[in-house]
Amino acid sequence: MNNWNSVKWLVYLALYVVPVFLLPWAVSRSWVHQRGGTVSYSPKQLFERGELGLLSLVLACGGIWDVLRSTFAPQTIATAAVLLAMGGIMAMTVWVETFCRQRSGTDWHPQRAWRDSRSLALFVFSMAAVVEILLDRLSREGAQ
Amino acid sequence: MSAPAIALAPRQSRIVVVRLADSAEVIGTLSLIYGALLVIYPVSFPNLIVKSWERGELLPVMMLFTFLLDTALYLRIAQRLSAKPGMMAAACLGSLPLLVVAGASFMLQRAVKYTLTSEWPNLHARVGEEILAHTYLALVAAVFLPFLAIRLLQQFKNTV
Repeated sequence: MNNWNSVKWLVYLALYVVPVFLLPWAVSRSWVHQRGGTVSYSPKQLFERGELGLLSLVLACGGIWDVLRSTFAPQTIATAAVLLAMGGIMAMTVWVETFCRQRSGTDWHPQRAWRDSRSLALFVFSMAAVVEILLDRLSREGAQ
Repeated sequence: MSAPAIALAPRQSRIVVVRLADSAEVIGTLSLIYGALLVIYPVSFPNLIVKSWERGELLPVMMLFTFLLDTALYLRIAQRLSAKPGMMAAACLGSLPLLVVAGASFMLQRAVKYTLTSEWPNLHARVGEEILAHTYLALVAAVFLPFLAIRLLQQFKNTV
């Protein structure tokens, strides 16, 4: 890494990973501990209905908000916003599909819902991270 | 039908059913690599992309890369599911990555023209940032959109 400025992206990535994965896991452990239980729930069990898809939509909205406020050309802003929105919506669809399957009694596979929502969450998260890196570079170019 | 007749009958292999998660994993990895290269090589990696765009090499390279990536991904899914590739999916994967990259290139030309007519300082650097952003967005779109199209077609037809 050329300068310490790059390290801030590690902090930025951690800021998303902590509330999405670690915080719910820690809260579930605390809840079980308060009630004297011994079981512990993994993130996979916590998000087995595709809830990561909902969090991805929230993350995509944050990315879109930042892109819309940037000084990129309108064509770039439109492309980035549409792609982020599509990723977020498709991630949310995993949760909707799982909910409908579960409620209607159709075959429901927690493994598949977890895998789909995890992959789409990775897509939205990594895309939002790259978009933020690009926005940071643009703002530094503008400041020069 | 007797048991030997069933055994001798030609086995009908299923057609590949694509899930968006398959392409999402690849895009996520691609994005992380792109982001890491931008952070680790903040000058040389963008220069490489901008220089290749100026020489006119970026568009064909991206078309070839996304086409091969999409095809490899689809064949990997087919192999994993032990299913045969469908005609509609082949048509989507053969045409959509090229169309998407060409469309993104057209958008980039418009964005560069818009930037050059604006009154921002340091225009050359801003054009470089536009090229970087469009290259990344074109890569994502060229992998995501063909698989999204196949997925949506599967909703209407049971298999594509």
